[in-house]
Amino acid sequence: MPLIRKPVTDTRAQGLPTVDVLRGLASADAEERWVAARAAPEVEGGADALVTALRTESDARVREAMLTSLARINSSASVEAILALLRSDDASVRSGALETLRVMGSAMREHLPRLLSDADSDVRLLSCEITRGLPGAEATRLLCDLLVRENQVNVCGAAIEVLAEVGQAEALPVLAQCETRFRDTPFLVFAIKMATDRILAQSTRHV
Amino acid sequence: MSEFPALTQEEFRRLCEFLYRRTGMVFTEAKRYYVERRVVERMLETGCGSFSNYFSQLRADTRGEIEQIINAFTVNETYFYREDHQLQCLTADLLPNRIRKKSQGEPIRIWSAPCATGEEPYSIAMWLLENWPLVDDYEIEIIGADIDTAVLEAARQGVFGKRALMRLSPYLIAKYFSQVAEDKWQILDDLRGSVRFGEVNIVAPGETRPYGQFDVIFCRNVLIYFDDTSRRIAAENLYENLLPGGFICLGHTESMSRISSLFEVSRFTDAIVYQRPDQHR
Repeated sequence: MPLIRKPVTDTRAQGLPTVDVLRGLASADAEERWVAARAAPEVEGGADALVTALRTESDARVREAMLTSLARINSSASVEAILALLRSDDASVRSGALETLRVMGSAMREHLPRLLSDADSDVRLLSCEITRGLPGAEATRLLCDLLVRENQVNVCGAAIEVLAEVGQAEALPVLAQCETRFRDTPFLVFAIKMATDRILAQSTRHV
Repeated sequence: MSEFPALTQEEFRRLCEFLYRRTGMVFTEAKRYYVERRVVERMLETGCGSFSNYFSQLRADTRGEIEQIINAFTVNETYFYREDHQLQCLTADLLPNRIRKKSQGEPIRIWSAPCATGEEPYSIAMWLLENWPLVDDYEIEIIGADIDTAVLEAARQGVFGKRALMRLSPYLIAKYFSQVAEDKWQILDDLRGSVRFGEVNIVAPGETRPYGQFDVIFCRNVLIYFDDTSRRIAAENLYENLLPGGFICLGHTESMSRISSLFEVSRFTDAIVYQRPDQHR
């Protein structure tokens, strides 16, 4: 039979190769930086080293590994480091940062009010998506706070779409007010109706 | 079950959108009865008195409810030649692509992770022997790996029931199995000897490294169960375990594009798979 078999290697005791994370993150070789980025959460000082390296990392693959490692560390410091990337001129860096913030869940919560008030409408829009992972009452409160003051239609659309999934009855008057303000914007009127119907359906049915 | 009303249209849509975003599973109106039945079963099981309560529990993943509902919607069994369009793609497109980049004597390496009780890696071996004319020209290494040592032991034994063999023709069963009990068949020693098995946790950073790099990885219907961070760690592990230009096959509801930007989508006649770029971008 041409198919071959080799002895089984015990893999359990092994893991990421032992690397000098600090040196690896500063290496000129992207492969070394990738390995160091993945190993960083396991070493003392790894989070700070990642934060520093992330500011200058130009390789998208290594940057993704750094962001994943910061998500694993999931500390307030790692959130702050990723928040700084939201100001990047590179759209892929901004969206990678927001996607990472989305997966970080609980560590993100305290930063959401600030993000939802950010001067940059892209940040506000993508932050709406992050609220989707919160308990319904908390997400409803944050999104309603945003909707009462928000003038950018795409940001409103993003908030309303999330409310359609997680929104509670407290959102209904805010949605009605929003509908009045944006009555000349058909896609928002449609989205508000859908969200309202779903919240009403949930609010009126208990077994 | 009758004590619960059916889901309203809005509840059904809300649930379907959540399931799609969280798991990739798509349910349309045509599947409404199928979905409702399972959701009501889960509501009974969890003691939720309303869909609203159940949905909150699902979103919060209380007591692993996401895994529970995925299990309710998926076929929790593995069998030979499952999703064989990917096996067709393996011999029609993936291996011809890989051997163009290989030097003489370089082996082809295929990984099945997780492999559960072995149906997938043995299926790969059988499929290659039956369907790839170049099978005698290359050394082909097939490895199955799983986190569960009990299923690995079962995989090494290679004894299967009737359901596991349901997609195989009598010809294939006669050729590759011997009947060891009334409803039990064991993979022949030759074929058992062509697959090796080992333990792995694909969401432990670096734990997959010792397995080396592969030409093709089958990683089907497991990423669906992980949270977002674990999926990203798994994607990075799998990236490291692929040779540049190597391919990864996921389950039909899974999408690597929604997890990581490390891979490129490759569309072939029989399957959509993901490829590690030849060069770093």
